[in-house]
Amino acid sequence: MKRRNFLKGVLYGTGATMAIAGGFGTFNKLGSVKAEAIGEDLETTVFSSCEMCRNQCPIAVKVKDGKVVKIDGHPDDAAFGGVICARGNAGPSLLYDPQRIKKPMIRTGERGEGKFKEVSWDEAYTYISDKLYNVKDQYGGEAIALASRKGPHDWFFRSIGKAMGSPNVFSHEATCPMTRSVALDTTFGNEAIAADYANTKYLISIGRNWFEGIHVAQTRAVSKALSNGAKLVVLDPRFSITASKGEWLPIKATTDLAFVMAMANIMIDENLYDKNFISQYTEGFEKWAEEVKDKTPEWAEKETGISKEKIIRITREFAAAKPQAILDFGWRTAYTPNDYQLRRAILIVNMMIGNLEVPGGYYRTKPANFLKDFPDQAVYAKGLGNITQPSFPKASQGRIDGTGVKGTPGQIIPAYDGAVGKIVESILTEEPYPIRAWLVHRFNPYISLTESPRVLEAFKKLDLLVTCDVYMTDTAYFSDVVLPECTYLERSEPIFDMSGLTPKYVIRQAAVPLVYSDTKPYWQIYKELGEKMGIGDYFEFKDMEDYMSQQLRPTGITLDKMKEMGVWTPPGMNAFYVRASDANASLDNVLSNHSKKIEIFSVDVEEATKQGVPKYISHPQPEEGKFRFVQGKVAVHTNAGTANVPILNELMPTNTLWMNPVSCTKLGLKDEDEIVIASGLYEHKGKIKMTEGIRPDTVFCYHGFGRVSPELRRAFGKGINGNHLIPNEIGEVGNTVTSTTFVTVRKA
Amino acid sequence: MDKSMIAELYLSFAAVFHRPNPDVSDHLEELVDLWSEVIPEIDEAVQKLATFCREFPPGEQRLNALWEHYIPLFETGEVEASPYASVYSGEKGLVLGKEAFNVQQFYANCGYVMGEKSGELPDHLAVELEFCALLARNGQSEALMEFQKKHLTPFLKSILPRIKNSDRPVYSDIATILEIRQLNLQKEGDFVG
Repeated sequence: MKRRNFLKGVLYGTGATMAIAGGFGTFNKLGSVKAEAIGEDLETTVFSSCEMCRNQCPIAVKVKDGKVVKIDGHPDDAAFGGVICARGNAGPSLLYDPQRIKKPMIRTGERGEGKFKEVSWDEAYTYISDKLYNVKDQYGGEAIALASRKGPHDWFFRSIGKAMGSPNVFSHEATCPMTRSVALDTTFGNEAIAADYANTKYLISIGRNWFEGIHVAQTRAVSKALSNGAKLVVLDPRFSITASKGEWLPIKATTDLAFVMAMANIMIDENLYDKNFISQYTEGFEKWAEEVKDKTPEWAEKETGISKEKIIRITREFAAAKPQAILDFGWRTAYTPNDYQLRRAILIVNMMIGNLEVPGGYYRTKPANFLKDFPDQAVYAKGLGNITQPSFPKASQGRIDGTGVKGTPGQIIPAYDGAVGKIVESILTEEPYPIRAWLVHRFNPYISLTESPRVLEAFKKLDLLVTCDVYMTDTAYFSDVVLPECTYLERSEPIFDMSGLTPKYVIRQAAVPLVYSDTKPYWQIYKELGEKMGIGDYFEFKDMEDYMSQQLRPTGITLDKMKEMGVWTPPGMNAFYVRASDANASLDNVLSNHSKKIEIFSVDVEEATKQGVPKYISHPQPEEGKFRFVQGKVAVHTNAGTANVPILNELMPTNTLWMNPVSCTKLGLKDEDEIVIASGLYEHKGKIKMTEGIRPDTVFCYHGFGRVSPELRRAFGKGINGNHLIPNEIGEVGNTVTSTTFVTVRKA
Repeated sequence: MDKSMIAELYLSFAAVFHRPNPDVSDHLEELVDLWSEVIPEIDEAVQKLATFCREFPPGEQRLNALWEHYIPLFETGEVEASPYASVYSGEKGLVLGKEAFNVQQFYANCGYVMGEKSGELPDHLAVELEFCALLARNGQSEALMEFQKKHLTPFLKSILPRIKNSDRPVYSDIATILEIRQLNLQKEGDFVG
């Protein structure tokens, strides 16, 4: 084409890019559409659910002129009371963030160099498909790993890996409360146990921080209990917001199990436990009694740094409140390699006061399918339907983390979750066999897994790394292909079962059309990728409306009704505790294990780790000049997920290292000093926050900062990434370990 | 300057501020020729563009070189110079602010609507420039002048310095050229050209 013929062609619609109105095809003639139709002053409310963290709180999205202007909690959900947290409020700033990923991208430069080109979805799918089949042909399907933040996307995301014959699908749980899941599984036979905080009279937290690690319904329930006069005791080396609401016991980190075993010792010694409950519902109590007989308050005082008088007083207060008392089972990353035994011990002490299936204690969640076995509740048993899939091919090798292998710790690792930190090890060591491709969905291993530099090293060894997310996360930045997912405010997805003391279903539906038109919901992405790969049979639904309709069919609830309500609970049903009116009621339906007993001594744990009842292991304490390094959550961010969200970044753009004034003085440091934190192999710069709200032998920072992707413009290079300093130690049941690292601190 | 030339000028700038595509990438020399012909005092920027064109001949290599700078500059992540007017005119730095609705309304009043498949927000820099090209081509001079005054000029005042300051090849040079072009228009008191 001669000079300017190109432009003329485009302008007048005679060239290759001819369009209706001329130009690049951006505009059409308005035709019959009235100009006044644009900008109609329409205001609506769309009921959906939040995704600023993984709790999926029901929300009411206010939409004006086609734009989200405000998000509130769902007004008709009593557990939420029309309230959402700061993160939920910040949703619109994520939705309208110019820094989101807008198109599929393929890397053009070296890995980590940040050079990408945008491509069509078809090109992206073709690229991924070709690479995955290459890996499968060369190394087997098991060389493909998938990891995601646990959620409703898993059904779609995981189908890709399973259809390729990979057993290596992982959730993020090993970096979160998986040790609690192991404890629940091995004690009750299922993980679906929750705490009735709202009705409790005495609440002991072991590092659980409801007012910063916020789950709105649970935070409100704890607040309600406190308002009603409940006593709160918080064991934490740091003075958290939660600690400020009760009695703070600044325990030496990693000694929590000593405190819990001493509680059991005192309760047995002083006959404070519920003998009838133990006799009727549990097995193995005598072995536990034997294990704790020398775990006296005097012994625990030396271990924990908490006076024996306090330990005795708190134990007596706790037992006196039975059964409306809760020693909380926690919801956080594992402290130690054997953290699951701490969680088991916590559950056992709770069972010693018989607080299962009564108000103010623990309860089995009550999904509709559970209720069918209770004649007086069966009327409410309207269970969701499943979407069928063909059988997946059998994997030719076992999982890289040994999950499911009898006679090893893998026996008790939850099969759905696995030990996600093992992916990095298998990439680098090729043991038990190499992982060559890694698909990541809304998960950021660089920040979420310990020993971040090693994670980067692993990325560089892969044949294929794919990330699907809304932002160019640290992991996305090192990926070969980046897939732009739309936000939760722009997508519909499967109905969630959020049952608690009654069944409850919650919908997520698009509140507004796509802001960036080439982003897609995850279900569409994996369905289309599956079809491109020739495995479309695993995605037998037309679209999300069809999927949701199939789910709802057995319930008798129509999709339109569900959209209109947002949240469904059985009309007229009251909170259901199996033992509320009959203290001797059968718990056979609550317990899913073979024994139909609460397993204080667990045969499975004995087979897996030779510790059928929890045993105490004393972990090293920091020597003079070193500090234990611990991390935690903050109320305005969600772990690895929100550091770059505009409003939340504005509220808290960075973190600091908390240090006690006594320690600061010894090191010649003062508040806001620039420092270097060293953990042996690794160092990290940061800034000191001098505070009496932490033990002198411990330092603390909030998790989720210190980002390395320059494309996270607001968060890049700000603050401390704690996981940069912590070695990738995989605990006994596959959990990451976050509280056994010691650091030194010096002025920068 | 006749309306066809004005339209081509607007379209040439729209072309480079849309996402890189093979058609535009392969015709970059043509755009540079146009600018050097009708916009005075842009020799340095033209030289830099000519160097780029020599270093990256038409084809995939040039397209990838454009992507390398377009993405961090306009598109994803760091977004050194967000291409959406709302980001600069709103109080929160977010897209789809009031300005997006205002320009959309302006398009409608002039007889245009963005196609469903255009895939772009109404206040994207390239979209506004393309709209100006259509107005110029169709002789809608008054509308063009009004759009320039109310929407495009304030937007360019915010975004062009950011693109220039990024020092990214091609884009910072073209921002310089567009800025000179705008200054010349203002000197002449003739927003339409």
